[in-house]
Amino acid sequence: MALTALEIYKLLPKTNCKECGLPTCLAFAMQMAAGKAGIEKCPPASSEAKERLGAASAPPLPRVTVGTGDGAVVLGDEVVLFRHEKTFHHPTAIAASVSDTLGEEALVERLRRITALSFERVGQTISVDMAAVRCDSSDPARFARVAAAALSGAGKPLLLQGPASALAAAVKEVGASRPLLCPPPEELEDGAKLAASAGLPLVARARGLDALEAALAKARAAGAKEIVADPMPEDAGRAVADSICIRTLAIAHRAREVAYPTAFDLGGGFPNPFAAACLLVPKYASLVVLDTADPAELLPILTLRQNIFTDPQRPIQVEPGIYAIGKATPSSPVLITTNFSLTYFTVRSDIEASRTPAHLLIAECDGMSVLTAWAAGKFTAESVAKILLDGGIGGQVEHRTLILPGMVARLSGRIEELSRWRVLVGPQESSALPSYLRRLPPAAFLPANG
Amino acid sequence: MTVAFPKQAFPGRVLEVTLPAAEGGTPVIVGGQNALPLAPEGEKHNPVAVGMEVGTGSGEIPPSLAHALGGREKDPVSLARACEDEWGASFIFLSLSGCHPDNGSQTVAMGAKLARDVLAAVRCPVIVGGCGDEEIDAKLFPAVAEAAPRPVFLSYADEKNYRLVGGAALAYGHGVVSWSPIDINMAKQINLLLSDIGVPPERILIDPLTGGLGYGLEYTYSIVERIRLAGLSGDAMLARPVLCHLGDAWKAREAVDASEPSWGDPDVRGPRWEEATGWACLAAGADLLVCRHPGNAALLRGTSWR
Repeated sequence: MALTALEIYKLLPKTNCKECGLPTCLAFAMQMAAGKAGIEKCPPASSEAKERLGAASAPPLPRVTVGTGDGAVVLGDEVVLFRHEKTFHHPTAIAASVSDTLGEEALVERLRRITALSFERVGQTISVDMAAVRCDSSDPARFARVAAAALSGAGKPLLLQGPASALAAAVKEVGASRPLLCPPPEELEDGAKLAASAGLPLVARARGLDALEAALAKARAAGAKEIVADPMPEDAGRAVADSICIRTLAIAHRAREVAYPTAFDLGGGFPNPFAAACLLVPKYASLVVLDTADPAELLPILTLRQNIFTDPQRPIQVEPGIYAIGKATPSSPVLITTNFSLTYFTVRSDIEASRTPAHLLIAECDGMSVLTAWAAGKFTAESVAKILLDGGIGGQVEHRTLILPGMVARLSGRIEELSRWRVLVGPQESSALPSYLRRLPPAAFLPANG
Repeated sequence: MTVAFPKQAFPGRVLEVTLPAAEGGTPVIVGGQNALPLAPEGEKHNPVAVGMEVGTGSGEIPPSLAHALGGREKDPVSLARACEDEWGASFIFLSLSGCHPDNGSQTVAMGAKLARDVLAAVRCPVIVGGCGDEEIDAKLFPAVAEAAPRPVFLSYADEKNYRLVGGAALAYGHGVVSWSPIDINMAKQINLLLSDIGVPPERILIDPLTGGLGYGLEYTYSIVERIRLAGLSGDAMLARPVLCHLGDAWKAREAVDASEPSWGDPDVRGPRWEEATGWACLAAGADLLVCRHPGNAALLRGTSWR
């Protein structure tokens, strides 16, 4: 928990020397508690006070980077426990596993399947982020070879899971790609030394939080700088409880000794990995490893991650403009909606389902839905008329008929007045668009005369 | 050295609510906790209750769901029986969707009779939902309230119809599901209105409107978290069990579309889409989940922890 002003005050010299620029030590303590001043402004503070108060103002969760360049994955570096308080910044990384015992063809096929786990949703690409190479062969040379093949075949940052000797061999091959090293608990010290000397991030594993805290201390002592914590739970319930515990200690209690990004290996016979992944994505895991490469399972998990890690203050938006859906012609219907991406993609997919080619106008509404944008004065008769007159749609169609969302039917009269377009009131819900569009008489979109 | 779990003492506690069963059935008891979900702290006497939706409409259902229901979706009574006996639903959400003009146009009397038949066929608790047409529901709720041979919950009461639904529930001893469109202030307001007309607090569940995975789930996720945090912090009007409908998941194109081979087998993907929606609601703090796929009733119920 962040310290209160009184707790901070107790650690200060209490001499009211004013060196910090404030009249009293208590006033300074209040500024510090509010996060507006740091202990460095108090030269006379004791070294104990500097250590305790300095730690209190550091970011609650360190940041660990795996991989390099555009595909690099950032773990940790979060500041809130609930997304509505601000937002979650770094989406849970999803890794798909690759065993080093696979034969050449099977390996190529596995890497192809992992690369294929990439989908387009609401204008964003959502993909599996990492390949987790497992040393099941006990052969360091083979492990290093497969790691190199995984790096070039999948083109994603690597998690390397194996004994220290295998990790050392693999680091020689792929160390420059900044893999995350994951030694078994009993070889943590050697693994940590390797990570320290190669400047690579490390996963410290130990079952249960007490053992994990000890393992993290050992990894730090061995010189590892960027560390990820894995409490090695035995089932989904334990996993999510451990994850909540570690993140709550880190953010609400500033417990530095366990404040690390977390990793959970849900492969190798872990019970109910799908359920565990769905719980760990909203509940704070930084990285999960899955054995499955089935798109029917990964698409829901990646979509859940996309939902949870959307900034609540900044909904995903699409570019305003004119979107042709299907083979739209000058006599195709014209519809309008807002630039909230969920609204756009829902309307778009419903128009597609109707198999009626159409022009969809997207109005700039700060990413709000139709009703919200109308209530906020962003989707008005004036703004709609302006789009109809100045947005270029007049040059693309021969008719002058607009289908308006049913939710804002009340705007129709004023739009007709301002734009001289005819307005048809569409359905209230986008889901009714397919039947609405199929029932529209073609005569509605005959060329405007005179 | 031991790591102390960061115990958070909340001043509030979610009110315990009982959904009554028929004689010989098991009532559903939810709420009662003074802690956030899934954390190993606090008192959580009651696990999340997982029920199944039984519709009465004539609308088509996605093929992957139809396979799993084995044709029983055409007969609400036999479907309800299967939900309870074969698939382990703790309660039934009977949606009288067939009374809607676009979905079967059953009369109010037929709707009320279906409710009575389903209530006679199962022993578990039943929540009865309207058809969504304001005018029809205004007649349907009083008719169901009168026809039900045992206490049910009526779903739902909103700002417009709370007097009618609350009144019908009070007159015949039923409970009420209070509904608000992903809005914590309206969730509180509707509970205040219901309490003003005398509906006892232990007969109210909150339905915050559940968006399916990929289509607004994040809004529901945060509203459920905020409702739960407000309730545990002492806001009695929000310290009520929360019910999430997972059925919206089946409206997603990604859940049902069979034309995209790169998305994987729709028979796997559809149920997983609903299941993922369920886990997110559970992580946010839901107390009751209503699913449509039989497999998910078992999967989501298989949580001895919450």
